[in-house]
Amino acid sequence: MAGIALVTGCGGADPSRPRLLVSAASSLTEALTACSDSFGAADVRLSFAGSDELAAQIRQGAKPDVFASANTRLPKALRKEGRLSRPVEFATNELVLAVPAGEGKVRSVGDLSRQGVTLAVGSPSVPIGSYTREVLSGLPGGQGAAILSHVRSNEPEVKGIVGKLTQRAVDAGFVYRSDVEAARDELDGIELPARLRPTVVYGAGVVKGARQPGVARGYVAGLRHGVCARRLLDSGFGRPPSS
Amino acid sequence: MTARAWFPALLVMALVVALAFLTLPVAAIFLNAPPSRLVESLGDESARDALLLSLRTVAISMAIIVGVGTPAAYLLATRRFPGRTLAITLVELPLVLPPAVAGIALLAALGPSGILGGAIEDAGIRLALETAGVVVALTFVASPFYVRQAQAAFETLDRTWLDASRTLGASEARTFLRVAVPAAVPGLAAGGALALGRALGEFGATLIFAGSFRGVTQTVPLAIYDRFSTDFDGALALSGLLVILSAAILLSVKALGGAAR
Amino acid sequence: MLRVEARAELGGLILEVELEAAAGECLALAGPSGAGKTTVLRIAAGLLRPARGRVACGGRVWLDTERGVSVPPEERRCGYVFQEYALFPHLSVWRNVAYPLRGSERRERARELLERFGIARLADARPGSLSGGERQRVAVARALARRPDALLLDEPLSALDSRTRAAAARELGSVIREAEVPALLVTHDFGEAAQLGDRVGVIDRGRVVQLGLAGELAASPASAFVADFAGAVVLTGVARPGPDGLTLVDLDGGGQVTSVDGGRGEVAVSVYPWEIALEPPDAAHPGSAQNHLPAEVASLTEVGNRVRLGLAAGQPLVAEVTPAAVRALDLAPGQRVIASWKAAATRVVAR
Repeated sequence: MAGIALVTGCGGADPSRPRLLVSAASSLTEALTACSDSFGAADVRLSFAGSDELAAQIRQGAKPDVFASANTRLPKALRKEGRLSRPVEFATNELVLAVPAGEGKVRSVGDLSRQGVTLAVGSPSVPIGSYTREVLSGLPGGQGAAILSHVRSNEPEVKGIVGKLTQRAVDAGFVYRSDVEAARDELDGIELPARLRPTVVYGAGVVKGARQPGVARGYVAGLRHGVCARRLLDSGFGRPPSS
Repeated sequence: MTARAWFPALLVMALVVALAFLTLPVAAIFLNAPPSRLVESLGDESARDALLLSLRTVAISMAIIVGVGTPAAYLLATRRFPGRTLAITLVELPLVLPPAVAGIALLAALGPSGILGGAIEDAGIRLALETAGVVVALTFVASPFYVRQAQAAFETLDRTWLDASRTLGASEARTFLRVAVPAAVPGLAAGGALALGRALGEFGATLIFAGSFRGVTQTVPLAIYDRFSTDFDGALALSGLLVILSAAILLSVKALGGAAR
Repeated sequence: MLRVEARAELGGLILEVELEAAAGECLALAGPSGAGKTTVLRIAAGLLRPARGRVACGGRVWLDTERGVSVPPEERRCGYVFQEYALFPHLSVWRNVAYPLRGSERRERARELLERFGIARLADARPGSLSGGERQRVAVARALARRPDALLLDEPLSALDSRTRAAAARELGSVIREAEVPALLVTHDFGEAAQLGDRVGVIDRGRVVQLGLAGELAASPASAFVADFAGAVVLTGVARPGPDGLTLVDLDGGGQVTSVDGGRGEVAVSVYPWEIALEPPDAAHPGSAQNHLPAEVASLTEVGNRVRLGLAAGQPLVAEVTPAAVRALDLAPGQRVIASWKAAATRVVAR
């Protein structure tokens, strides 16, 4: 107990600046890491993982200050359960088909059903995985099922798919436009046909019982209008629908 | 080759294969990217945060493990009492738990909605998503390594030394401090090295119980996992650092145990 | 005075003893392994608590199960010498000896003791580098360091090789006498008990079956067990050099024997009963046996396939012969005989 008290006492925090814990979707990694230092009201500590995993932690009783998800479904569900404030839509994104740079094997969604093609997708419960399955179920005939049979890995978060692609462990994967930008020259992104593109909207809210609710609200607002909002646009995200 | 020489040759071959298999991945960490790139990624603030966090949490965990584990191991080693076998099994249990299961178990017990969660929160202590939670996770997974070794070390002590100490006027406490512990130091050091290595490399339980917040709960192993998809060289650099750190600790603990002989 | 009364059950063995040693007296408890000897010492030291018992030393009660008194070992002032010496391996010799001492003079006192035992030069050595005899001396010094009220010795000589044993026995005997406290010694060797103990008790399966002077036990064993256990005959006398490099020993109580061993002054001689032959009183003494003592048969005990005879001479003797010999000589209590044995079979031991 003494040891634990010692540790909780010194978290390296600057007493004049409160500490803000932000749980954010994996695809927000580069953008939020870059912009959160400029958030003057607090010392921001970030945790990135699949949105569903972060939501599960909150359901378990964990209380980060802010929850930023790659969909609006999870924040709305948490709001219904009384665990989150009313979520705010702060960005959009585009689902793309990515391949390792320079690989000619896969050039379109149709190529995915060819023999011998390997694929990495998100697991069904993580936003990237559910968006992907939305796309595949929109394909004619049995194409969707055929493509799913080529899946070699169901990743818990989108960065896992990026990793498999950059290591050339799979031929293709479904990720966000922002991930292709973040991977610099390592990935080629292939646009999906317009009719297949899902609507990807990011939602964020303040966790009920958060230690710094006021500061948290300021952070969330900043995702729509502040330094972080600009950073998101620079990183390949789109503006939120209501702006 | 004569009929008799094939067996020693087979033994040598087996060792060569084992050594090659075990050393290649470790060597690959250092050989895969240019050293300058590795050093560069260590300058990253999140890498420094992870390193300092790892060192701090491991140090506190080890202090708790040795401070509580040594007397506990002594009791298990020197006394027969009803339920002793059960106690030993319970102490060893975390050893066979997969780290992820350990994390879930800790959540179920000490997490915010866990059995003791309410009481802990009332006491003003937060564990989940906090550095203290990391200490709890490390202590939970690493203590059986120490307690088991310490118990074995105390069991190999000649009991007559302890008896002699008592007849020479030393109380049980004095006997423990002045005879049992010093005589058992090599075994205790070995146990400490094992526990330390385990704590330094702990990943699954920490991730699940304490989360992966940079600077708060993201220890070096968690930082490596965080990076490997997006910054493989960064992951290599941190891995290399952990290898060097672990090796250094292992060697110094062995030296300590040997010097005490 | 040290008094130990105890009743305990240990793994099938029921121990029931009542012993007393006066100040300056050494009571030697001899018995086979498993008889409970070490247990008695552990009870006296407080390392084991019997179901029922009472231990008192010099007026202080250390244990009284009826009244719920149980003084822990560290508060009893016992000097315990363990069978394998139990020296602390991580401490130097002088630190081992100084372990029970407190205060600024402990180093001095430790050095004093090491000097007394002739091992001052080993002060900084580690126990692991010492010989058996040296370790035994350190163990004894350590036990005596804080001037204990009683001495407890567990097989103090058995870990030594036979060469060192004789000298160590002499030393130990004088140390025990010097200490002037009651001493309780246990051993599996009757000869050792006879040598070091003022009184000897034979313990068998948890009970003391006979207690008395060594010679009494040998000559008049209470049972076949005691007779068998008390192997050697021990006679006291004064030794002086004799012809042919032999030693002559004038026995206390009369008679003279010759030995091939060296010795001077007050000594004890020992011979094994089976080395003693019996002849009728008027025999001519043929053969090479040089020692002859007239004696009278005091007792006859059958032990297995042999017969043990207690003989009364200047001192009690024991001879072991076959039943055939008993018949041939028509031996019975009161019968006069000559006990003969070789000078080569006569050992001179320290008194």
